[in-house]
Amino acid sequence: MSLLNRVGTADHPGKSAPFSKTATGAQKRRFALPSLLPYALALPILAYEAYFILYPILQQIRLSFYQQPMGAAEEWAGLANYSRMLTDPSFWSVVRVSLMYLVGVVVVAIGFALASALMLNRHFRGRTVTRAVMTMPWAFPDVPTVLVFLWMLNPNFGVLNVFALWLPWVESAPNWLMDTRLAFVSIVLITAWKGFPFYSLVILAALQTVPAELSEAARVDGASKVQVFFAVTLPGIMPTLLLLTVLASIFSFKQFTIIWLLTGGGPAGATETIVIRIYNTAFRFYDFSYAAVLGVAGFVMALTVALVFLAAQRRQDLEAA
Amino acid sequence: MASVNVSPEPAPKRRSPSRLLMSVGYYIVLAALVIITVFPIYWMVTTAIRPATENLTYPPSLWPKSLDLEPVRRLFQDGNIGRWIINSTLLSTLVTAICVLMAIFGAYVLSMMRWRGRAVFAVFLLMTQMLPEALIIVPIYKIYTDIGLRESLYGLSLIDAAFVLPICVWVLKNMFDTVPREVREAALVDGAGPMRVLFQIVLPITLPGLVAVGVVAFFYAWNEFLFAQTMITTESSKPASVGLASMITMLDTPIERLLAAGFLFAIPPVLFYIAMQRYIIAGITAGAVKG
Repeated sequence: MSLLNRVGTADHPGKSAPFSKTATGAQKRRFALPSLLPYALALPILAYEAYFILYPILQQIRLSFYQQPMGAAEEWAGLANYSRMLTDPSFWSVVRVSLMYLVGVVVVAIGFALASALMLNRHFRGRTVTRAVMTMPWAFPDVPTVLVFLWMLNPNFGVLNVFALWLPWVESAPNWLMDTRLAFVSIVLITAWKGFPFYSLVILAALQTVPAELSEAARVDGASKVQVFFAVTLPGIMPTLLLLTVLASIFSFKQFTIIWLLTGGGPAGATETIVIRIYNTAFRFYDFSYAAVLGVAGFVMALTVALVFLAAQRRQDLEAA
Repeated sequence: MASVNVSPEPAPKRRSPSRLLMSVGYYIVLAALVIITVFPIYWMVTTAIRPATENLTYPPSLWPKSLDLEPVRRLFQDGNIGRWIINSTLLSTLVTAICVLMAIFGAYVLSMMRWRGRAVFAVFLLMTQMLPEALIIVPIYKIYTDIGLRESLYGLSLIDAAFVLPICVWVLKNMFDTVPREVREAALVDGAGPMRVLFQIVLPITLPGLVAVGVVAFFYAWNEFLFAQTMITTESSKPASVGLASMITMLDTPIERLLAAGFLFAIPPVLFYIAMQRYIIAGITAGAVKG
């Protein structure tokens, strides 16, 4: 199962054009020419995306080979920007933070999503309402999310201090966003809070496609609930979990608003992912060519993540076959 | 978690103590899950509707002891909030118009036509959908500076639409895939052209999908912060996401007012997303679950 295999048409996969299939002679002639039609219809989208996305990507790559001192003209810089980046220790710190953030969000969000999907997959009174309520963080926009969490983490009046002090080993109210480790954990948990309902709903849908007869049969044969989960349920939703891992990685890699408004990358770079570094480099320090090179590094990282998971998927397909 | 009952017969009505305990445990965990999920939203509302004196005490009470709806009522009277909401509505409407118009054709060629390059087109859309916006903020900023699109909601709507359009195409394609083949074929046999089939047969029965596309596009622009923050600095043309964020650093903004404004901003997307979630989620995962 790969992302690309999913792109089937509504008709049977591998069959020919719907418009020629059942057409009579007259219609055949009529539709012989419109074979250009799909291209004509796809062209506006292609042109639009090419101008607003592909062209900037190319510009970015070009820009990464130039330097532009403030107010002066661009000048060719060769690989100077690249060598500056690769020898900059703070760049490697950004790479490390990006990866840790990605892994943290994926593990917490998908773990939480799996747990809540398993809970919601049972029948109980008020299930529909509970499901709708549990969906809310996903639909909650980023900026209000930041507003309420800033308030909850407020060092003087934040309600999370109350809860933290309930813990036996916590003695004074934590200064959440000023402590490097707590700030990092906070942004991971907040991103996971906002992301998990989406994954939970997808897992829930997948759980409902696992045939009930299979787990019932296993139960009849004497398997415990835990055994059934690992032998029947988990393999049944494995492709979905893998796909969600890809999606969650990409979503967390894209995350800008929550981190930027909560910490701006601080304290001391503890929450500075590559996306935040790019923005700070460009719009705080106005160093556009260095930001461009960081953007190219971001492409490489995003592509690496995508390729790792494509390989994992292929391997899973082979094992399943 | 050893099971007590492995017999194929339905479980006896009377519950054994250990089963009862399991069931109580289940509800406790479920309740904890719900509380963790909902608490921040509950706290936002609580803070917004009670007097400042209750918010500025420590430790805070976990529920409002008295109500003060004045901040909510005064939201539109002073400040720029009304202006911001109008800007956001205009921006989101433009993005929705662009995306709905283009997604119809994109979904049509992906779902119902066979042509060389279709797979490439699909991969291209997937790739653009996955691209982080911030990675190309610099070149886009430069291009926008060169062609004079900065500080314009119209310019902003163009780039927002470019990033949300691929998802819109998937959401609608997923819906188009459910149209039975026979329905279209019958129309074709009757002599309808492909465009008539699209507009008179396919679209009327996939209306929910079209609404879902509208919701996705509208609230993408409504929530979008990075491009809006970068491109628009003029106070009077700020969309609400940027305006709200700017209230964080305004020291004189009372917390009740800030959270009331944030909650107001969040209500429309929450309502619409939950109503259309079935179509939106299937579209974003591109039908992966069905496999």
